[in-house]
Amino acid sequence: MNAKSLIKRNYKKHPEIDFPDYKSSIFRAPKNRKISFPSSNTEIIGPIFNKNIIGKLDNDLTLNFSRNKISPLGHKIIVYGTVSDQFTNPIEGALIEIWQANAAGKYLHNNDENPAPIDPNFAGCGRCLTSSTGYYEFLTIQPGPYPYPNRGIEWRPMHIHFSIFGKSFGQRLITQMYFEGDPLIKLCPMLNSIGNEKAKNSLIGVLDTSRSNTQNLLAYKFDIVLRGIKQTYFENRKEGL
Amino acid sequence: METIKAKLDETPFQTAGPFLHIGCMPNAVKINKIYQNDLGEIPFKDKQENELITIEGSVFDGNGVALDDVMIETWQCDEKGKFNADSGFARLIPNNITKKFTLKTIKPGSYKGFDRKTHSPHLSLSISARGLNMTLNTRVYFEDDELKNDPLLSIISLDNVNSLIAKKIRKNSYLFDIFLQGDRETIFLDI
Ligand SMILES: [Fe+3]
Repeated sequence: MNAKSLIKRNYKKHPEIDFPDYKSSIFRAPKNRKISFPSSNTEIIGPIFNKNIIGKLDNDLTLNFSRNKISPLGHKIIVYGTVSDQFTNPIEGALIEIWQANAAGKYLHNNDENPAPIDPNFAGCGRCLTSSTGYYEFLTIQPGPYPYPNRGIEWRPMHIHFSIFGKSFGQRLITQMYFEGDPLIKLCPMLNSIGNEKAKNSLIGVLDTSRSNTQNLLAYKFDIVLRGIKQTYFENRKEGL
Repeated sequence: METIKAKLDETPFQTAGPFLHIGCMPNAVKINKIYQNDLGEIPFKDKQENELITIEGSVFDGNGVALDDVMIETWQCDEKGKFNADSGFARLIPNNITKKFTLKTIKPGSYKGFDRKTHSPHLSLSISARGLNMTLNTRVYFEDDELKNDPLLSIISLDNVNSLIAKKIRKNSYLFDIFLQGDRETIFLDI
């Protein structure tokens, strides 16, 4: 019989859950150790989303909320990359949802207390499904940095939030992409909650100059890796894994 | 045991932050003109009201405050133990007045897993919010089911195994509160 399982997570390459420099984690991060459990069908299978949920402008944040095709303020960027698994296999049909602040660093959300202006032509949300090569692409505007209450007022580096579904509920990933060269990156407690330097750097979108020069916009490349799923053949093994 | 070596590291998590609804449930925060519906609004769309159960509860932080800025995602099989495209998927946010989330879905069946073991009926849950540097995972079981032989529940010898079991409060209605910290901290899983 074919058994499937998810590759164990390497927590050294993820953020620490209990990280007091990020104040909100103090009363929210669980204190007990997670129970290690060999994933089964509910975790290994995951929702598969149909192409027909995606509208034509869903991955174009410069137009999907604009009135009379007026461009939102700020400079345009393309954010693109591939979604693959840990074995380098591209993942087709992965759902990527993004959200971000506008050029002034303001979210279109009632709870955002930043006294920066809303942009009536920008909502800051988009989504797409990856192609057969795992490719995705968003057209948007450069999000501004923004102040938020942490240890006093601190500033978030420019970033875009990403939510990704692969093939498996256990591959589910929520993360943020940062921008190469942003001086606020090294001060960010959320990013610094990742101890491993290489892992931290993998969240920084890389400026792609060749593409930037040809399309009147800046292009950033951000590749995403989801957990691998192992397939193992078992015979006469009563206990499975 | 690992025969094939992974070549790449998984992309690290970052917190979903306080505004995750803009990206994942924009209609719920009044951004209505981009997506027709929010994903996971109604699981098992073709079922009648009388075929559904309700699971409700709150998510409490370490101060005992019920949160209204979390997103809970649920994923489950159908009553026969079969997983179908995306119909077993739901997304919830607690009501900002009652601080309760309410899931209307069908009761999942038990299934025989890839591990050849029979898993008691359950849903898989993920919880994302500001303050959580990684999304949390857990499972919801039902107190009126046979749970003794479930492969997960039977490896948990802790007192708080009950934190994974929804309590029956009315006919077809269950209560499942989630505690991020404290004496009653929910068991979270490294799946
Ligand atoms: Fe943000």
